[in-house]
Amino acid sequence: MKFSLAVYAAPHSSQSAASALRFARALLAEGHEIYRIFFYCDGVQNANSIAAPPQDETDLTGQWQALQREHSLDLVVCIAAAQRRGVLNQREAERLEKPSANLAEGFELAGLGQLTDAVANSERLVTFGGTQ
Amino acid sequence: MTLHIVSKSPFSTQALSDCLESFADGDALLLIEDGVYALQHKALQDLQNTEIFCLAADSEARGLLPSAISCSVEAIDDARWVHLCTEHNPIVSWFR
Amino acid sequence: MKQRTLALCRAAPYGSALAREGLEAVLASAAMEQEIDLLFLGDGVFQLLDHQSPMAIGQKSLRRNLMALPMFGIEQLYVARGSLAQRGLTPEEIQIPGAEITLVDQPGNLIAAYQCVLSF
Repeated sequence: MKFSLAVYAAPHSSQSAASALRFARALLAEGHEIYRIFFYCDGVQNANSIAAPPQDETDLTGQWQALQREHSLDLVVCIAAAQRRGVLNQREAERLEKPSANLAEGFELAGLGQLTDAVANSERLVTFGGTQ
Repeated sequence: MTLHIVSKSPFSTQALSDCLESFADGDALLLIEDGVYALQHKALQDLQNTEIFCLAADSEARGLLPSAISCSVEAIDDARWVHLCTEHNPIVSWFR
Repeated sequence: MKQRTLALCRAAPYGSALAREGLEAVLASAAMEQEIDLLFLGDGVFQLLDHQSPMAIGQKSLRRNLMALPMFGIEQLYVARGSLAQRGLTPEEIQIPGAEITLVDQPGNLIAAYQCVLSF
């Protein structure tokens, strides 16, 4: 079955982003297809490559990247939510005249239309909410 | 039938009570994350003829012993979570 | 047949970004001509109060986003009757120009009719 996930939760603030990763792994292990994972609201922090958690804590960004490489996942970060929260790719950092880019490799910035598209093209959508 | 996924404690948020007000016949309830604290809440005892599940990993992580999980609640693994999501539609998350 | 998407709006405005970001997602969907309905439940009904003036707290009014809904073809808003009553609100207090408010007694039956529910 074709699934998409919407992730609104930042790593390290609540369990929710880790739950989304667990669910994504279980979906793939059970032979289902992930059409897209859309990171929205505080969830854009999952794509922040300069977060540096201690070595004995889970590095969610790294784990998303590993899963993306293994399964060619479409990891899309809402560009408007990301700009507000300081997650930028090189192009956006230059355009907005910010000192650096921090979007982790394997994630892409795109508009909210990608969430609408995921809804239209998936048989199931599961939301992982944040702390707000 | 709808699958309702509750991820916050009923002792601190409206997640479970809003969810239960939005329950239709035949819907199923899955408790995840802090939602598993509902196992200690009387609201679940009032739910008759309803399929109720909790994620075993989340309840075990919090020290909720299997004895706290009443016979009306089934503790499931992640594979079963996926399966529940294929069986139900839509899937509604109650996370606040 | 189940087809459409329901946005389940449970967040009060201003205290968190969720109400605003939820409406932004709804408007983006409507702009792509996808059929999407809204159900306001719990504290989400507070989004619909008239006379919001958040300038002094440094925020943009959410009313502008709500008023845009009819312009994007969303002319009917569902509101949980029980949530209004619990909060001491009457239907007269939650008007959105150009949109018709439909009070819902059994939110579960409404939710069940949709293919996809986006929670905000």
